[in-house]
Amino acid sequence: MSDLLTVRDLSVAYGSGAPAVKRVSFTVGEGAVVALLGANGAGKSSIMKAIAGLTPASGTVMFGAEDLAALPARTRVARGIVYVPEGREIVGDLTVRENLILGGYQKAAAERKQRMAMVLDLFPEIAEKADRQAWRLSGGEQQMLAIGRGLVANPRLLLLDEPSLGLAPLLVRRVFDRLAVIRRETDLAIVLVEQNLAVTMRLCDDLHFLRGGRIVGQRSAAELKDKAARQEAIDAYLGAAA
Amino acid sequence: MTVWDSLLYDLFPLIWSGMITGCLYALGALGLVMIFKCSKVVNFSHGNVAGLTAFLVYGLSSGVLMSLSWGAAVLVAMLAAVAIAFLIYSIISPVVFESDLTSTIATLGFGLIAQGVTLLMFGADIVALDLPIPRFAFSVLGLFVTGYDLTVLAVAIVTIGALFIVIDYTKLGIAFRAISENPFAAEVCGLNLRSVHYFAWITAAILGVIGALLIVPTTFLSVTTVATFMLQAFAAAVIGGFASLPGALVGGVLIGILMNLFTFYVSPEYSSTFLLGVILVALNIFPNGILQKVGGSRV
Repeated sequence: MSDLLTVRDLSVAYGSGAPAVKRVSFTVGEGAVVALLGANGAGKSSIMKAIAGLTPASGTVMFGAEDLAALPARTRVARGIVYVPEGREIVGDLTVRENLILGGYQKAAAERKQRMAMVLDLFPEIAEKADRQAWRLSGGEQQMLAIGRGLVANPRLLLLDEPSLGLAPLLVRRVFDRLAVIRRETDLAIVLVEQNLAVTMRLCDDLHFLRGGRIVGQRSAAELKDKAARQEAIDAYLGAAA
Repeated sequence: MTVWDSLLYDLFPLIWSGMITGCLYALGALGLVMIFKCSKVVNFSHGNVAGLTAFLVYGLSSGVLMSLSWGAAVLVAMLAAVAIAFLIYSIISPVVFESDLTSTIATLGFGLIAQGVTLLMFGADIVALDLPIPRFAFSVLGLFVTGYDLTVLAVAIVTIGALFIVIDYTKLGIAFRAISENPFAAEVCGLNLRSVHYFAWITAAILGVIGALLIVPTTFLSVTTVATFMLQAFAAAVIGGFASLPGALVGGVLIGILMNLFTFYVSPEYSSTFLLGVILVALNIFPNGILQKVGGSRV
Protein backbone atom coordinates (compact mmCIF):
# COMPACT_ATOMS: atom_id res chain seq x y z
CA MET A 1 0.00 0.00 0.00
CA SER A 2 1.61 3.32 -1.06
CA ASP A 3 1.57 6.29 1.27
CA LEU A 4 -1.16 8.83 0.57
CA LEU A 5 -0.24 11.16 3.43
CA THR A 6 3.19 11.62 4.94
CA VAL A 7 3.52 13.83 7.99
CA ARG A 8 7.10 14.56 9.01
CA ASP A 9 8.26 16.58 12.02
CA LEU A 10 4.99 18.49 12.19
CA SER A 11 4.85 21.16 14.90
CA VAL A 12 2.03 23.53 15.73
CA ALA A 13 2.27 26.49 18.10
CA TYR A 14 -0.36 29.03 19.06
CA GLY A 15 1.03 32.47 19.86
CA SER A 16 4.15 32.50 21.98
CA GLY A 17 3.03 29.62 24.21
CA ALA A 18 4.40 26.09 24.30
CA PRO A 19 3.84 24.15 21.06
CA ALA A 20 0.61 22.16 20.94
CA VAL A 21 2.22 19.64 18.59
CA LYS A 22 5.93 18.74 18.68
CA ARG A 23 7.67 17.11 15.73
CA VAL A 24 4.99 14.52 15.00
CA SER A 25 5.56 12.04 12.16
CA PHE A 26 3.30 9.37 10.72
CA THR A 27 2.01 8.07 7.40
CA VAL A 28 -1.40 7.07 6.06
CA GLY A 29 -1.62 4.57 3.20
CA GLU A 30 -4.14 4.64 0.35
CA GLY A 31 -7.47 3.48 1.76
CA ALA A 32 -6.05 3.08 5.29
CA VAL A 33 -7.72 4.23 8.49
CA VAL A 34 -5.34 5.69 11.05
CA ALA A 35 -6.40 6.83 14.49
CA LEU A 36 -4.85 9.46 16.72
CA LEU A 37 -5.66 8.73 20.34
CA GLY A 38 -4.99 10.82 23.37
CA ALA A 39 -6.49 12.83 26.18
CA ASN A 40 -7.77 16.39 25.82
CA GLY A 41 -4.97 18.77 24.92
CA ALA A 42 -2.77 16.03 23.45
CA GLY A 43 -2.65 17.91 20.14
CA LYS A 44 -4.89 15.65 18.07
CA SER A 45 -7.16 18.34 16.62
CA SER A 46 -4.19 20.65 16.00
CA ILE A 47 -2.61 17.95 13.83
CA MET A 48 -5.85 17.60 11.87
CA LYS A 49 -6.15 21.36 11.35
CA ALA A 50 -2.52 21.57 10.27
CA ILE A 51 -3.06 18.84 7.65
CA ALA A 52 -6.21 20.63 6.45
CA GLY A 53 -4.33 23.93 6.21
CA LEU A 54 -6.48 25.61 8.83
CA THR A 55 -3.68 26.47 11.23
CA PRO A 56 -0.05 27.46 10.62
CA ALA A 57 2.42 24.67 11.18
CA SER A 58 6.04 23.79 10.57
CA GLY A 59 7.38 20.49 9.26
CA THR A 60 6.40 18.61 6.13
CA VAL A 61 3.00 17.37 5.03
CA MET A 62 3.09 15.46 1.74
CA PHE A 63 -0.05 14.37 -0.06
CA GLY A 64 1.16 11.72 -2.46
CA ALA A 65 4.18 13.40 -4.01
CA GLU A 66 2.96 16.94 -3.41
CA ASP A 67 4.20 19.13 -0.56
CA LEU A 68 1.16 20.90 0.92
CA ALA A 69 3.12 23.66 2.67
CA ALA A 70 2.17 26.48 0.31
CA LEU A 71 -1.42 25.39 -0.32
CA PRO A 72 -4.31 27.17 1.39
CA ALA A 73 -7.18 25.18 2.91
CA ARG A 74 -9.44 25.53 -0.13
CA THR A 75 -6.78 24.11 -2.46
CA ARG A 76 -6.28 21.17 -0.12
CA VAL A 77 -10.04 20.52 -0.31
CA ALA A 78 -9.74 20.59 -4.10
CA ARG A 79 -6.91 18.04 -3.85
CA GLY A 80 -9.21 15.76 -1.83
CA ILE A 81 -8.25 16.48 1.79
CA VAL A 82 -11.48 17.13 3.69
CA TYR A 83 -11.76 17.92 7.38
CA VAL A 84 -14.85 17.06 9.41
CA PRO A 85 -14.31 19.18 12.51
CA GLU A 86 -14.93 18.45 16.13
CA GLY A 87 -18.33 19.78 17.19
CA ARG A 88 -19.70 19.17 13.66
CA GLU A 89 -19.59 22.85 12.61
CA ILE A 90 -22.57 22.50 10.35
CA VAL A 91 -24.32 25.72 9.30
CA GLY A 92 -27.48 25.65 11.39
CA ASP A 93 -29.57 28.10 9.39
CA LEU A 94 -28.93 26.29 6.12
CA THR A 95 -31.05 23.29 5.24
CA VAL A 96 -29.56 19.83 5.16
CA ARG A 97 -29.46 20.01 1.36
CA GLU A 98 -27.77 23.44 1.41
CA ASN A 99 -25.15 22.14 3.85
CA LEU A 100 -24.41 19.33 1.42
CA ILE A 101 -24.16 21.80 -1.47
CA LEU A 102 -21.66 23.70 0.65
CA GLY A 103 -19.64 20.49 1.06
CA GLY A 104 -19.45 20.09 -2.70
CA TYR A 105 -19.01 23.79 -3.42
CA GLN A 106 -15.92 23.25 -5.55
CA LYS A 107 -17.47 20.43 -7.56
CA ALA A 108 -19.27 20.78 -10.88
CA ALA A 109 -23.07 20.70 -10.53
CA ALA A 110 -23.47 17.21 -12.00
CA GLU A 111 -20.81 15.64 -9.80
CA ARG A 112 -22.12 17.45 -6.72
CA LYS A 113 -25.63 16.20 -7.41
CA GLN A 114 -24.37 12.65 -7.79
CA ARG A 115 -22.34 12.82 -4.58
CA MET A 116 -25.29 14.30 -2.68
CA ALA A 117 -27.51 11.45 -3.84
CA MET A 118 -24.88 8.97 -2.64
CA VAL A 119 -24.67 10.68 0.77
CA LEU A 120 -28.45 10.84 1.21
CA ASP A 121 -28.57 7.18 0.30
CA LEU A 122 -25.91 6.39 2.90
CA PHE A 123 -27.64 8.44 5.60
CA PRO A 124 -31.41 7.96 5.16
CA GLU A 125 -31.99 9.68 8.52
CA ILE A 126 -31.00 13.04 7.04
CA ALA A 127 -32.43 12.28 3.60
CA GLU A 128 -35.89 12.44 5.15
CA LYS A 129 -35.10 15.90 6.48
CA ALA A 130 -33.25 17.30 3.47
CA ASP A 131 -35.23 20.54 3.43
CA ARG A 132 -35.15 21.08 7.18
CA GLN A 133 -32.79 23.61 8.76
CA ALA A 134 -29.75 21.81 10.12
CA TRP A 135 -30.09 23.18 13.66
CA ARG A 136 -33.36 21.27 13.95
CA LEU A 137 -31.59 17.91 13.57
CA SER A 138 -30.66 15.72 16.53
CA GLY A 139 -27.01 15.48 17.56
CA GLY A 140 -26.55 12.16 15.75
CA GLU A 141 -28.18 13.47 12.59
CA GLN A 142 -25.99 16.56 12.72
CA GLN A 143 -22.91 14.33 12.93
CA MET A 144 -24.14 12.34 9.93
CA LEU A 145 -24.67 15.60 8.08
CA ALA A 146 -21.14 16.76 8.96
CA ILE A 147 -19.65 13.50 7.65
CA GLY A 148 -21.97 13.56 4.64
CA ARG A 149 -20.97 17.14 3.86
CA GLY A 150 -17.36 16.02 3.85
CA LEU A 151 -18.13 13.09 1.56
CA VAL A 152 -19.88 15.30 -1.03
CA ALA A 153 -16.46 16.83 -1.70
CA ASN A 154 -15.38 13.38 -2.97
CA PRO A 155 -12.32 13.25 -0.71
CA ARG A 156 -9.34 10.95 -1.00
CA LEU A 157 -8.47 11.62 2.64
CA LEU A 158 -11.09 12.32 5.30
CA LEU A 159 -9.93 13.93 8.54
CA LEU A 160 -12.56 12.97 11.12
CA ASP A 161 -12.28 14.84 14.40
CA GLU A 162 -14.09 13.16 17.30
CA PRO A 163 -17.23 12.05 15.49
CA SER A 164 -18.56 10.39 18.66
CA LEU A 165 -18.32 13.56 20.78
CA GLY A 166 -21.55 14.24 22.68
CA LEU A 167 -23.44 11.33 21.13
CA ALA A 168 -25.37 8.60 22.95
CA PRO A 169 -23.78 5.12 22.61
CA LEU A 170 -26.47 3.94 20.21
CA LEU A 171 -25.84 6.91 17.91
CA VAL A 172 -22.07 6.41 18.13
CA ARG A 173 -22.53 2.84 16.95
CA ARG A 174 -24.79 3.99 14.13
CA VAL A 175 -22.29 6.61 12.94
CA PHE A 176 -19.38 4.15 13.08
CA ASP A 177 -21.42 1.49 11.28
CA ARG A 178 -21.78 3.96 8.40
CA LEU A 179 -18.08 4.72 8.51
CA ALA A 180 -17.44 0.98 8.27
CA VAL A 181 -19.66 0.86 5.18
CA ILE A 182 -17.73 3.76 3.63
CA ARG A 183 -14.48 2.00 4.43
CA ARG A 184 -15.68 -1.27 2.91
CA GLU A 185 -17.09 0.23 -0.27
CA THR A 186 -14.56 2.94 -1.11
CA ASP A 187 -10.80 3.42 -1.13
CA LEU A 188 -11.11 6.48 1.06
CA ALA A 189 -8.29 6.97 3.57
CA ILE A 190 -9.30 8.28 6.99
CA VAL A 191 -7.42 9.93 9.83
CA LEU A 192 -9.62 9.56 12.87
CA VAL A 193 -9.25 11.47 16.11
CA GLU A 194 -11.21 9.80 18.88
CA GLN A 195 -11.47 9.30 22.59
CA ASN A 196 -13.80 6.33 22.27
CA LEU A 197 -11.28 3.52 22.15
CA ALA A 198 -13.72 0.66 21.61
CA VAL A 199 -15.19 1.96 18.37
CA THR A 200 -11.82 3.23 17.18
CA MET A 201 -10.23 -0.21 17.50
CA ARG A 202 -13.01 -1.71 15.35
CA LEU A 203 -12.43 0.68 12.48
CA CYS A 204 -8.72 1.43 12.30
CA ASP A 205 -5.64 -0.19 10.82
CA ASP A 206 -3.12 1.77 12.89
CA LEU A 207 -3.39 3.72 16.12
CA HIS A 208 -0.99 6.43 17.27
CA PHE A 209 -1.01 7.46 20.92
CA LEU A 210 -0.42 11.11 21.67
CA ARG A 211 0.56 12.85 24.83
CA GLY A 212 1.67 16.44 25.34
CA GLY A 213 1.81 17.05 21.59
CA ARG A 214 4.06 14.04 20.86
CA ILE A 215 3.43 10.57 19.53
CA VAL A 216 4.35 8.27 22.40
CA GLY A 217 3.34 4.95 20.89
CA GLN A 218 1.97 3.21 17.84
CA ARG A 219 0.16 -0.09 17.39
CA SER A 220 -1.67 -1.81 14.57
CA ALA A 221 -5.24 -2.97 15.14
CA ALA A 222 -4.00 -6.57 14.94
CA GLU A 223 -1.47 -5.92 17.70
CA LEU A 224 -4.22 -4.53 19.91
CA LYS A 225 -5.60 -7.99 20.25
CA ASP A 226 -2.72 -8.43 22.69
CA LYS A 227 -3.74 -7.46 26.23
CA ALA A 228 -0.56 -5.48 27.03
CA ALA A 229 -0.80 -3.47 23.82
CA ARG A 230 -4.46 -2.77 24.52
CA GLN A 231 -3.47 -1.55 28.00
CA GLU A 232 -1.02 0.87 26.35
CA ALA A 233 -3.88 2.19 24.23
CA ILE A 234 -6.05 2.58 27.31
CA ASP A 235 -3.24 4.41 29.12
CA ALA A 236 -2.92 6.78 26.17
CA TYR A 237 -6.63 7.36 26.19
CA LEU A 238 -6.47 8.15 29.91
CA GLY A 239 -3.44 10.37 29.41
CA ALA A 240 -1.30 8.01 31.45
CA ALA A 241 1.07 6.73 28.76
CA ALA A 242 4.75 7.13 29.55
CA MET B 1 -62.07 67.91 10.92
CA THR B 2 -63.27 64.44 11.88
CA VAL B 3 -60.99 61.61 12.93
CA TRP B 4 -61.67 59.95 9.57
CA ASP B 5 -60.69 63.09 7.70
CA SER B 6 -57.50 63.30 9.74
CA LEU B 7 -56.69 59.67 8.86
CA LEU B 8 -57.57 60.17 5.23
CA TYR B 9 -55.80 63.45 4.62
CA ASP B 10 -52.87 63.25 7.04
CA LEU B 11 -52.05 59.83 8.43
CA PHE B 12 -52.46 57.61 5.37
CA PRO B 13 -50.51 59.92 3.03
CA LEU B 14 -47.79 60.23 5.67
CA ILE B 15 -47.56 56.46 6.00
CA TRP B 16 -47.49 56.07 2.21
CA SER B 17 -44.73 58.61 1.64
CA GLY B 18 -42.85 57.24 4.66
CA MET B 19 -43.03 53.80 3.15
CA ILE B 20 -41.61 55.10 -0.14
CA THR B 21 -38.69 56.82 1.59
CA GLY B 22 -38.35 53.77 3.81
CA CYS B 23 -37.72 51.59 0.75
CA LEU B 24 -34.66 53.72 0.05
CA TYR B 25 -33.50 53.50 3.65
CA ALA B 26 -33.91 49.74 3.27
CA LEU B 27 -31.64 49.73 0.21
CA GLY B 28 -28.95 51.53 2.20
CA ALA B 29 -29.51 49.31 5.24
CA LEU B 30 -29.32 46.12 3.19
CA GLY B 31 -25.88 47.14 1.97
CA LEU B 32 -24.66 47.84 5.49
CA VAL B 33 -26.08 44.55 6.76
CA MET B 34 -24.66 42.49 3.88
CA ILE B 35 -21.18 43.75 4.63
CA PHE B 36 -21.57 43.31 8.38
CA LYS B 37 -23.09 39.84 8.12
CA CYS B 38 -20.24 38.28 6.20
CA SER B 39 -17.18 40.35 7.03
CA LYS B 40 -18.23 41.68 10.47
CA VAL B 41 -17.27 45.21 9.46
CA VAL B 42 -19.56 48.21 9.99
CA ASN B 43 -18.90 50.14 6.81
CA PHE B 44 -18.96 53.82 7.81
CA SER B 45 -17.82 54.84 4.34
CA HIS B 46 -21.07 53.60 2.78
CA GLY B 47 -22.82 56.99 2.75
CA ASN B 48 -19.89 59.07 1.57
CA VAL B 49 -18.99 56.64 -1.22
CA ALA B 50 -22.62 56.58 -2.38
CA GLY B 51 -22.61 60.39 -2.19
CA LEU B 52 -19.48 60.56 -4.33
CA THR B 53 -21.06 58.33 -6.96
CA ALA B 54 -24.27 60.41 -6.96
CA PHE B 55 -22.08 63.46 -7.63
CA LEU B 56 -20.35 61.52 -10.41
CA VAL B 57 -23.74 61.02 -12.08
CA TYR B 58 -24.30 64.77 -11.76
CA GLY B 59 -20.83 65.62 -13.06
CA LEU B 60 -20.95 63.18 -15.96
CA SER B 61 -24.43 64.18 -17.13
CA SER B 62 -24.41 67.94 -16.50
CA GLY B 63 -21.29 68.91 -18.40
CA VAL B 64 -19.22 69.58 -15.27
CA LEU B 65 -17.03 66.56 -16.08
CA MET B 66 -18.62 65.26 -19.28
CA SER B 67 -21.92 65.47 -21.09
CA LEU B 68 -22.97 61.85 -21.15
CA SER B 69 -26.53 60.67 -21.36
CA TRP B 70 -28.22 59.99 -18.04
CA GLY B 71 -28.05 56.22 -18.53
CA ALA B 72 -24.35 56.25 -19.44
CA ALA B 73 -23.59 58.48 -16.45
CA VAL B 74 -25.37 56.08 -14.09
CA LEU B 75 -23.51 53.14 -15.62
CA VAL B 76 -20.13 54.84 -15.19
CA ALA B 77 -21.03 55.82 -11.61
CA MET B 78 -22.05 52.23 -10.86
CA LEU B 79 -18.73 50.98 -12.23
CA ALA B 80 -16.93 53.59 -10.14
CA ALA B 81 -18.85 52.44 -7.04
CA VAL B 82 -17.89 48.83 -7.75
CA ALA B 83 -14.24 49.83 -8.25
CA ILE B 84 -14.20 51.87 -5.03
CA ALA B 85 -15.80 49.03 -3.04
CA PHE B 86 -13.28 46.60 -4.53
CA LEU B 87 -10.42 48.93 -3.66
CA ILE B 88 -11.59 49.58 -0.08
CA TYR B 89 -12.08 45.89 0.65
CA SER B 90 -8.75 45.01 -0.99
CA ILE B 91 -6.97 47.50 1.23
CA ILE B 92 -8.61 46.43 4.49
CA SER B 93 -8.84 42.70 3.72
CA PRO B 94 -5.54 41.84 5.44
CA VAL B 95 -6.97 43.12 8.73
CA VAL B 96 -10.58 41.94 8.26
CA PHE B 97 -9.73 38.49 9.64
CA GLU B 98 -7.57 39.94 12.41
CA SER B 99 -9.69 42.71 13.89
CA ASP B 100 -13.26 43.76 13.14
CA LEU B 101 -12.71 46.98 15.06
CA THR B 102 -9.61 48.04 13.11
CA SER B 103 -11.39 47.34 9.84
CA THR B 104 -14.44 49.31 10.95
CA ILE B 105 -12.31 52.30 11.96
CA ALA B 106 -10.49 52.08 8.63
CA THR B 107 -13.85 52.52 6.86
CA LEU B 108 -14.28 55.82 8.70
CA GLY B 109 -11.06 56.95 7.07
CA PHE B 110 -12.23 55.84 3.63
CA GLY B 111 -15.49 57.73 4.22
CA LEU B 112 -13.53 60.91 4.92
CA ILE B 113 -11.39 60.33 1.83
CA ALA B 114 -14.55 59.88 -0.31
CA GLN B 115 -15.98 63.08 1.15
CA GLY B 116 -12.71 64.93 0.49
CA VAL B 117 -12.59 63.70 -3.11
CA THR B 118 -16.21 64.86 -3.59
CA LEU B 119 -15.31 68.31 -2.25
CA LEU B 120 -12.22 68.50 -4.43
CA MET B 121 -14.05 67.46 -7.56
CA PHE B 122 -17.37 69.24 -7.12
CA GLY B 123 -16.90 71.84 -4.39
CA ALA B 124 -19.17 72.50 -1.43
CA ASP B 125 -22.09 73.92 -3.40
CA ILE B 126 -25.52 72.40 -3.37
CA VAL B 127 -26.55 71.17 -6.80
CA ALA B 128 -29.72 69.79 -8.34
CA LEU B 129 -29.59 66.35 -9.92
CA ASP B 130 -32.44 65.99 -12.35
CA LEU B 131 -33.23 62.38 -13.07
CA PRO B 132 -35.64 61.29 -15.82
CA ILE B 133 -38.28 60.06 -13.42
CA PRO B 134 -41.87 60.02 -14.78
CA ARG B 135 -43.68 63.19 -13.73
CA PHE B 136 -47.27 62.22 -13.31
CA ALA B 137 -49.54 62.08 -10.31
CA PHE B 138 -52.94 60.72 -9.48
CA SER B 139 -55.13 60.25 -6.47
CA VAL B 140 -56.37 56.88 -5.30
CA LEU B 141 -58.39 56.31 -2.12
CA GLY B 142 -57.34 59.75 -0.95
CA LEU B 143 -53.64 59.02 -1.48
CA PHE B 144 -51.64 61.33 -3.73
CA VAL B 145 -49.42 58.97 -5.75
CA THR B 146 -46.63 60.35 -7.93
CA GLY B 147 -44.47 58.91 -10.66
CA TYR B 148 -41.55 59.25 -8.28
CA ASP B 149 -43.34 57.08 -5.69
CA LEU B 150 -44.03 54.34 -8.20
CA THR B 151 -40.49 54.51 -9.60
CA VAL B 152 -38.97 54.11 -6.15
CA LEU B 153 -41.36 51.30 -5.32
CA ALA B 154 -40.66 49.46 -8.57
CA VAL B 155 -36.88 49.86 -8.34
CA ALA B 156 -36.88 48.82 -4.67
CA ILE B 157 -39.05 45.76 -5.32
CA VAL B 158 -36.97 44.63 -8.30
CA THR B 159 -33.63 45.29 -6.59
CA ILE B 160 -34.52 43.78 -3.23
CA GLY B 161 -36.35 40.90 -4.90
CA ALA B 162 -33.33 40.10 -7.06
CA LEU B 163 -31.04 40.29 -4.02
CA PHE B 164 -33.21 37.93 -2.00
CA ILE B 165 -33.46 35.47 -4.91
CA VAL B 166 -29.66 35.42 -5.24
CA ILE B 167 -29.19 34.93 -1.52
CA ASP B 168 -31.94 32.35 -1.04
CA TYR B 169 -31.67 30.28 -4.18
CA THR B 170 -28.16 30.36 -5.62
CA LYS B 171 -24.89 28.66 -4.74
CA LEU B 172 -23.34 32.07 -4.13
CA GLY B 173 -26.20 32.88 -1.76
CA ILE B 174 -25.59 29.65 0.16
CA ALA B 175 -21.92 30.61 0.45
CA PHE B 176 -22.88 34.08 1.67
CA ARG B 177 -25.22 32.69 4.32
CA ALA B 178 -22.69 30.06 5.38
CA ILE B 179 -19.89 32.57 5.78
CA SER B 180 -22.23 34.91 7.64
CA GLU B 181 -23.17 32.26 10.17
CA ASN B 182 -20.11 30.06 10.42
CA PRO B 183 -17.01 31.19 8.52
CA PHE B 184 -14.97 28.30 9.90
CA ALA B 185 -17.44 25.78 8.45
CA ALA B 186 -17.31 27.60 5.14
CA GLU B 187 -13.52 27.51 5.13
CA VAL B 188 -13.55 23.81 5.98
CA CYS B 189 -15.72 23.27 2.89
CA GLY B 190 -13.11 24.95 0.73
CA LEU B 191 -14.83 28.29 0.19
CA ASN B 192 -12.80 31.37 -0.60
CA LEU B 193 -14.03 33.73 2.12
CA ARG B 194 -12.53 36.81 0.47
CA SER B 195 -14.37 36.30 -2.81
CA VAL B 196 -17.70 36.14 -0.95
CA HIS B 197 -16.71 39.27 0.98
CA TYR B 198 -16.09 41.01 -2.36
CA PHE B 199 -19.56 39.96 -3.50
CA ALA B 200 -21.08 41.56 -0.38
CA TRP B 201 -19.05 44.79 -0.61
CA ILE B 202 -19.72 45.25 -4.31
CA THR B 203 -23.44 44.46 -3.99
CA ALA B 204 -23.68 46.91 -1.08
CA ALA B 205 -22.01 49.61 -3.16
CA ILE B 206 -24.53 49.11 -5.98
CA LEU B 207 -27.44 49.24 -3.52
CA GLY B 208 -25.95 52.43 -2.09
CA VAL B 209 -25.78 54.11 -5.50
CA ILE B 210 -29.38 53.16 -6.29
CA GLY B 211 -30.56 54.48 -2.91
CA ALA B 212 -28.54 57.68 -3.26
CA LEU B 213 -29.79 58.43 -6.77
CA LEU B 214 -33.41 57.90 -5.80
CA ILE B 215 -33.26 59.98 -2.61
CA VAL B 216 -31.72 62.98 -4.37
CA PRO B 217 -34.91 64.03 -6.26
CA THR B 218 -36.60 64.67 -2.87
CA THR B 219 -33.88 67.08 -1.85
CA PHE B 220 -30.75 68.66 -3.29
CA LEU B 221 -27.37 67.05 -3.68
CA SER B 222 -24.65 68.23 -1.32
CA VAL B 223 -21.55 66.64 0.13
CA THR B 224 -23.51 65.56 3.20
CA THR B 225 -26.93 64.73 1.71
CA VAL B 226 -26.31 61.06 1.06
CA ALA B 227 -24.30 60.57 4.26
CA THR B 228 -27.28 61.95 6.22
CA PHE B 229 -29.59 59.63 4.29
CA MET B 230 -27.33 56.73 5.25
CA LEU B 231 -27.74 57.69 8.91
CA GLN B 232 -31.40 56.75 8.60
CA ALA B 233 -30.32 53.57 6.78
CA PHE B 234 -27.99 52.85 9.69
CA ALA B 235 -30.93 53.21 12.10
CA ALA B 236 -32.94 50.85 9.90
CA ALA B 237 -30.13 48.30 10.04
CA VAL B 238 -29.97 48.63 13.85
CA ILE B 239 -33.73 48.09 14.16
CA GLY B 240 -33.36 44.99 12.03
CA GLY B 241 -30.61 43.68 14.29
CA PHE B 242 -27.75 44.59 11.93
CA ALA B 243 -27.42 40.98 10.85
CA SER B 244 -30.78 40.30 9.26
CA LEU B 245 -31.58 41.20 5.66
CA PRO B 246 -35.38 40.96 6.12
CA GLY B 247 -34.89 42.92 9.36
CA ALA B 248 -33.12 45.69 7.43
CA LEU B 249 -35.99 45.83 4.97
CA VAL B 250 -38.63 46.05 7.68
CA GLY B 251 -36.44 48.48 9.66
CA GLY B 252 -36.08 50.75 6.63
CA VAL B 253 -39.80 50.98 6.03
CA LEU B 254 -40.47 51.48 9.75
CA ILE B 255 -37.91 54.27 10.02
CA GLY B 256 -39.37 55.96 6.96
CA ILE B 257 -42.88 55.92 8.39
CA LEU B 258 -41.86 56.85 11.95
CA MET B 259 -39.69 59.76 10.75
CA ASN B 260 -42.55 61.08 8.63
CA LEU B 261 -45.06 60.85 11.48
CA PHE B 262 -42.69 62.46 13.96
CA THR B 263 -41.81 65.30 11.59
CA PHE B 264 -45.46 66.05 10.86
CA TYR B 265 -47.06 65.55 14.28
CA VAL B 266 -44.24 66.57 16.62
CA SER B 267 -41.39 68.59 15.19
CA PRO B 268 -39.14 68.51 12.14
CA GLU B 269 -36.36 70.18 14.15
CA TYR B 270 -35.84 67.21 16.45
CA SER B 271 -36.05 64.47 13.85
CA SER B 272 -32.38 63.53 14.30
CA THR B 273 -32.89 63.35 18.07
CA PHE B 274 -35.93 61.19 17.47
CA LEU B 275 -33.88 58.94 15.20
CA LEU B 276 -31.24 58.44 17.88
CA GLY B 277 -34.04 57.76 20.39
CA VAL B 278 -35.46 55.09 18.08
CA ILE B 279 -32.01 53.46 17.84
CA LEU B 280 -31.66 53.47 21.64
CA VAL B 281 -35.14 52.04 22.20
CA ALA B 282 -34.61 49.40 19.51
CA LEU B 283 -31.28 48.35 21.01
CA ASN B 284 -32.86 47.98 24.44
CA ILE B 285 -36.08 46.23 23.48
CA PHE B 286 -34.88 44.26 20.46
CA PRO B 287 -31.12 43.84 20.90
CA ASN B 288 -31.14 41.18 18.16
CA GLY B 289 -33.54 43.02 15.90
CA ILE B 290 -37.28 43.17 15.51
CA LEU B 291 -37.36 39.93 13.54
CA GLN B 292 -35.28 38.10 16.11
CA LYS B 293 -36.08 34.41 15.94
CA VAL B 294 -36.14 31.57 18.37
CA GLY B 295 -33.67 28.78 17.73
CA GLY B 296 -29.99 28.07 17.34
CA SER B 297 -27.50 25.33 16.99
CA ARG B 298 -28.03 22.17 18.90
CA VAL B 299 -25.18 20.51 20.75
